[in-house]
Amino acid sequence: MNENLFSSFITPTMMGLPIVILIIMFPTLLFPIPTRLINNRLVSAQQWLAQLILKQMMMMHSPKGRTWALMLISLIMFIGSTNLLGLLPHSFTPTTQLSMNLGMAIPLWAGAVITGFRYKTKASLAHFLPQGTPVPLIPMLVIIETISLFIQPMALAVRLTANITAGHLLMHLIGSAALALISISPTTALITFIILILLTILEFAVALIQAYVFTLLVSLYLHDNT
Amino acid sequence: MPQLDTSTWLVTIIAMILMLFILIQLKFHKYSYPLSPAPKTFKSTSFPTPWETKWTKIYSPLLLPQQ
Repeated sequence: MNENLFSSFITPTMMGLPIVILIIMFPTLLFPIPTRLINNRLVSAQQWLAQLILKQMMMMHSPKGRTWALMLISLIMFIGSTNLLGLLPHSFTPTTQLSMNLGMAIPLWAGAVITGFRYKTKASLAHFLPQGTPVPLIPMLVIIETISLFIQPMALAVRLTANITAGHLLMHLIGSAALALISISPTTALITFIILILLTILEFAVALIQAYVFTLLVSLYLHDNT
Repeated sequence: MPQLDTSTWLVTIIAMILMLFILIQLKFHKYSYPLSPAPKTFKSTSFPTPWETKWTKIYSPLLLPQQ
């Protein structure tokens, strides 16, 4: 039962070939490149969405932070589209893999922190000590702030992995419960089915929200450091 | 938990790096965000010619010597 439940999170390989590469690259096909002056509806809608997100996200950054605009819009679109595609039945969601989320979180966080250390060394180091701390508490607080700094990429990765994995697991469990209940008591099966529908709506929201939260936090770390 | 099976981590990370840092950015950097196509109002910046800067009565058509 345990093996069956987690089987959708195994990295898919087909006869030894890692088709996970194709699955991760599939969302690229859903974003066509604009080639005309006036494009078709899909491309125009995506351009409008990208402009909306960019304006919202990049408003709070300095010109130096705005050089990250392409990176951040790619990040939010990639995570959002991957999460939404994972809501299709029997699909594999790459963002459930801790490997991928760590691979996204650590370089982006490290880039922001190293940029901060390189260009504003004193201000970056000053983040370790909040204003107005009483003098005896300073050593302990520096240790705590250092730990909380280094936990940021881990938290980013694990937050995304855990949220998406937990949502998918819940949908599996409730779905199989509804299926098993049909032969026992159809009313309970109906209630369970309604719960499943509500959960699916929640998962749509979670898919988008997680993308947003990830990108927002990276953008926040960037803001601190530019 | 199958996510902790590190044998597949390398290929997943490499595919993700390829995707995120190259492919998707190639798609998004081609987006253009044009300004809205409403026409702009502009004031013309023509300067009056020297004989127009000062209105003199003699140039009124009714006051010219009658032909």
